[in-house]
Amino acid sequence: MAKNVLLVDDSSTMRKIVTRSLRQAGLDFGDIFEAGDGLEALEVLEKEAVDIVLSDINMPNMNGIEFLREKSGRDGIKDIPVFMISTETGDDIIGEAKSLGAVGALKKPFTPDKVNEVLGPFM
Amino acid sequence: MGDFSDIIPKVIDATKEIFTGMVMMDVDQEGEPSNELGVIKDSITGMVGLAGTHKGMLAVHFPNELALAITTSFLGMDVSEINEDVQDAVGEIANMLGGNVKTLLTDRGYDIQLSLPSTISGEEYTFLADSDLQQIVIPFTAPAGNFYVELELEP
Repeated sequence: MAKNVLLVDDSSTMRKIVTRSLRQAGLDFGDIFEAGDGLEALEVLEKEAVDIVLSDINMPNMNGIEFLREKSGRDGIKDIPVFMISTETGDDIIGEAKSLGAVGALKKPFTPDKVNEVLGPFM
Repeated sequence: MGDFSDIIPKVIDATKEIFTGMVMMDVDQEGEPSNELGVIKDSITGMVGLAGTHKGMLAVHFPNELALAITTSFLGMDVSEINEDVQDAVGEIANMLGGNVKTLLTDRGYDIQLSLPSTISGEEYTFLADSDLQQIVIPFTAPAGNFYVELELEP
């Protein structure tokens, strides 16, 4: 069954590009929801049937790390897998993200092939 | 050229990678890096601030025509005026380059945090580096014009 995806990024450009890359990667996905920061993402997760989250780290209002921390404490949404998509893929910040439940990371810039390689097993 | 001249080739590679992989546009470095940029005309600049153990800034300066071509290619839709999509695309390119620079500097033992990206644009403006920052300006050429990547960093 196709997975519903939530894209979390303060850049509408990046949300469009990630959507395009998912299509170009040939991944089977259902609805795509969008959020501009962690706060909006939590609202979407509480309302919609989201199967997988792709989240930026560096965002206003609530960044990706804060989003993971808040999400991990909410029953009903805490087990939804989250991938980080960010320019920041140093061991320290990705390590922190994974300690808060992130299941993987995709570094910008990325190609459709890389999207397929990283996300394919989860889609 | 300053203490961080050794990372210039990596910044060049990162710039090419971003354009080839994400913008779907091939670019090349053209001309020698310098320490000044001069007056910028009919352009848009994307930038991210660097803070932490060493302060600084990463900026990309695009003439309007090239910024439109980049955004059109980036988004896969025609863009004919400098609007929020262009600002967003230019800011995102600065953000991606800033992330690469942060990684390069982290490898040197620096502890750097990035600001959110921002943009400025205008008919004529000057970008002045703080006197205590080292400045490097790298020229690039693209099919729709030339652009510059600028790094300012505390020694």
